[in-house]
Amino acid sequence: MAAVAAAETAGSLRSAKLREALVGYGFVLVPMVVFAFFFIYPIVYAVYISFHDWGILGKEASVGLANYRFLIEDDLFWRAIRRTIYYTVGVVPAQMALGLFLAVIVHSGLRGRTFFRAAYYFPSLASSAAITAIAIYILNADGLLNAALGLNQPWFNDSDTALESIMGLNAWTTSGTMMLFYLAPLQAIPTDVYEAAAIDGAGRWRTFWKITFPLLKPGHFFVAVVSVIGALKVFDQAFIVSGGAGGPAYSTLTGVLYLYQIAIQDVDFGYGATVGVALFVLIFTVTAIQRLLFGKAEVT
Amino acid sequence: MSNRRLTFGAALTAVLFVVAIAGAGAGQARPDGKAPAASEVSGNLIFAHWSSSPVETDLLKQVIAGFEKKYPNINVRRRALDPYAESMLAQFAARKPPDVFYVDSNVAPDWIRQRLIEPLNGYVNRYGFRTKPFYPRLLSAFQSGGETYGFPKDWSPLGMQTNNEMLSKGGVRAPQNWNDLRTAAQRLRSTNAVPGGRPICLSPGWDRLLAFVYQNNGAFLSTDKKKAVVNSAANNQTASFYLGLIQGGLAGTPAQLGVGWCGEALGKEKAAIIFEGNWVVPFMATDFPNVRYTNNAMIRNKSQGNLAFTVSYSIARDSKQKAAAWTLLTYLTGKEGMTTWTSKGLALPSRTDVKAVPGRQAFLQAAPHARPWQFAPGFAKVMTVAGNELTAALEGKQSIDVMLNKIQTEAQRTLKRGR
Amino acid sequence: MATGRETPPPYVAAVEELATGAPVAAGGEPSRPVPGRPRAERIRQVVVYTLLIGIALLFFTPFFWSVSTSLKSLQESVQGFDLLPDDPDLSAYRDALTSFNFGRYMLNSAIIAVSVTLFNLVLASIGGYAFARLRFPGREVLFMLVLATLMIPDQLRLVPVFLTLIDFPLTGWNLIGTYQGFVLINLVTATNLFLMRQYFLTIPKDYEEAAKLDGAGYFKTYWKVMLPLAGPALAAVTILQFQGTWNEFFWALIILQDEAKYPLTVGISTFVGVYNTQWPELMAASVLAILPVAAIFVVFQRYFVAGVAAAGVKG
Repeated sequence: MAAVAAAETAGSLRSAKLREALVGYGFVLVPMVVFAFFFIYPIVYAVYISFHDWGILGKEASVGLANYRFLIEDDLFWRAIRRTIYYTVGVVPAQMALGLFLAVIVHSGLRGRTFFRAAYYFPSLASSAAITAIAIYILNADGLLNAALGLNQPWFNDSDTALESIMGLNAWTTSGTMMLFYLAPLQAIPTDVYEAAAIDGAGRWRTFWKITFPLLKPGHFFVAVVSVIGALKVFDQAFIVSGGAGGPAYSTLTGVLYLYQIAIQDVDFGYGATVGVALFVLIFTVTAIQRLLFGKAEVT
Repeated sequence: MSNRRLTFGAALTAVLFVVAIAGAGAGQARPDGKAPAASEVSGNLIFAHWSSSPVETDLLKQVIAGFEKKYPNINVRRRALDPYAESMLAQFAARKPPDVFYVDSNVAPDWIRQRLIEPLNGYVNRYGFRTKPFYPRLLSAFQSGGETYGFPKDWSPLGMQTNNEMLSKGGVRAPQNWNDLRTAAQRLRSTNAVPGGRPICLSPGWDRLLAFVYQNNGAFLSTDKKKAVVNSAANNQTASFYLGLIQGGLAGTPAQLGVGWCGEALGKEKAAIIFEGNWVVPFMATDFPNVRYTNNAMIRNKSQGNLAFTVSYSIARDSKQKAAAWTLLTYLTGKEGMTTWTSKGLALPSRTDVKAVPGRQAFLQAAPHARPWQFAPGFAKVMTVAGNELTAALEGKQSIDVMLNKIQTEAQRTLKRGR
Repeated sequence: MATGRETPPPYVAAVEELATGAPVAAGGEPSRPVPGRPRAERIRQVVVYTLLIGIALLFFTPFFWSVSTSLKSLQESVQGFDLLPDDPDLSAYRDALTSFNFGRYMLNSAIIAVSVTLFNLVLASIGGYAFARLRFPGREVLFMLVLATLMIPDQLRLVPVFLTLIDFPLTGWNLIGTYQGFVLINLVTATNLFLMRQYFLTIPKDYEEAAKLDGAGYFKTYWKVMLPLAGPALAAVTILQFQGTWNEFFWALIILQDEAKYPLTVGISTFVGVYNTQWPELMAASVLAILPVAAIFVVFQRYFVAGVAAAGVKG
């Protein structure tokens, strides 16, 4: 009797698990199909053509690993990678800190909260033409920043400061988006946690660092991953500032800008795909490492 | 009786024959040769271009309207593409490109080599299209291996623009050669004729410096485009002169002057002498109408040297409407179309039989010696290296020798790779 | 267990205290200023608010500058940075509205932005729920694939995506030049899916367990429990996706191709010249274009306020 009951329970457990799996697959089906067509297929396609000399109209010759051998010796490529990593390391902490700071302000019981929320999000809304014009005004050789500092530095056009200026500009323009990314998880923290901490006599800033900050881990993971991926793919400002050349003196030559030069300007799809695949591998590796580091904290 | 009929028949035949010859001759006398008759061609064409300004786009609409009136059976759908290169490449790859489109001289070698553009010699012969009116150097930018791939729609070389008041204040006349230029700049500086700026604005890029390279009898590529000749003594001298002016304070880059390009420096009166092309004229007219300046011819050194920036109209190899496309092409680059297109002075006509608007003589006289701004297939990467090495040398991070050698190496490698 | 905000967390109290000069006891209301040091508190209050307002004004600068430039003449606008126009007039707005078919382009922008946002809301939330809460074999691998889609630069995707759309597999449709083609490639983005997943991970499991005890299936749990709790995340997705699509330029141009379908971004770009940018008209058009996005923001940002409506699961 008990054995039959146990067997029935085991059976229904298995079918429950099956049901859950099927529902799971069902729920993610449409997104995965979209991703397969418009993202996975392109990267597989890119891997395929990276083993060839590939013109616009199609295959020209099969060259095996020659493109990859060329890539390893390609000084410009490695330069671009170094610039991109440097950019990422600089901009991501700034973006995350600024976004979190703004989110905390806006989430607090401050008067005029709505006004601040709108104000801090505004740069994300403004057209890039307006932002670029303002940035040029501030960072011109005889612009606002130089006037304030008593300098004469052409910030965007000096190889020592061009990329750094872009970092600052991007940290500012994305801060509104990062703020929104942090606001959602901030909302989800239940208040009894704070009540318990208060009862235990925890101070205000300590509560933030020891309670809120750690509870934001899913948020941190999200912002960190999205931030890093976006930074490793930086293109628009580098292109505008350097006119597509990655200058002055290679200072703004990022990975994707180099890819653009090869694939679009040189019309060399085979080698362009090689560069693209290499960039993808880099970004994937970095993200996988992030996932491993954060993985334990995920609540599942 | 039969005699008269015979004579009449012979006379009639003779008359018909003469009329036929006269008719054919009349066709030859028309400036463009035998364009297809309006009733012969029909189709729906897609015509792609980039838009440089709303005024230009309006002008283009006008030209196309004129074409559609003449050829009512051809319908032209105009598409302004931006980003241009990416859009065109995607459509080429999908084998569904526009029928007629712009080709910049800089990308022409790559697009021709990739077999994206229809060769035109066959059409030229079939329709008797006269290519002689085109300036030969401009036409050659779109020719390869004896075959023509497009006709230039307009062009501009570089000129030298000088601020009238500043030059008279410095007691200086428009320089004619390199020595003049240096002397003039020194005078302008010592008389403080350009307060808050520098006497000359020089753009730190090869799309200006190369003109000076040519003036010194140098070049990047040999005439047959098979060898790179970047690291010559002549080029070293040129680069030293150009960069020397900047490093010595006689000239400033746009960034140093706090402007986006040298035209803006002229407008904001931060430089007295700049080297820009025809595009600076409409810019000054709309943005800085109160600054009085003169368009002078480009200076020279050992020889006359200049760059020609030009764009062609071409037909796609995968086009399904080639006859109609050819008709549009020849209209746009023919006398009628080009006259309308260049009537506002936004660009200069690439045909000798179309008159430019008045006041552009300084540019037009460069036509015999200006060289198209283009290199060999696969050179985009070389020019990236060239531009970056130049700015590195300008910042004092390396010597001119090293810079030229690096460019030479990259150029040689690309030529050898055969891409 | 409520997730309302009856009691502000202590660090919030810290900011509040700085601003109002009153220490806020956890669980209590703001009390009177500490006696004996009123002036110090007021100074701190002024300093903090000044700082925050200063930052806010700095952030508003692009908008001020856009409006200011739109009221100037071209010659005045290229002269330099002067926030006050000498002789303000609305001619740039008139030009912007008549240079191209503004109404049509705006309608196109609205069509694609609304469609893409709606699809994203549905697909990202249901997919995010599955990745957060449902167990199925290969889930982690699939999730890495989702993240991987973010790592592919647009230039690399350009030709394959174009080829796919121009001759869609299994159907042979040509989706170039259609709204559908554009909406299809943006049906759901990894960012939105990822955002929803992270948010669902923070929701305590008690809610679902309660639902399960009541006999709710997976879809009902999603629909009646998780979705209502996901207000802030859904608001974030709405705002960000609407704005992202509204401002989209690259893919819109490459896919839509037909002048009748061009979105506002394309119209605005006609004022950008290589040498001759028409600044007043460009800014006028940009200001007009911002208004709908700003409206969406204002409407949905209220979901970031007092927490989630979580009344618990009714039996």
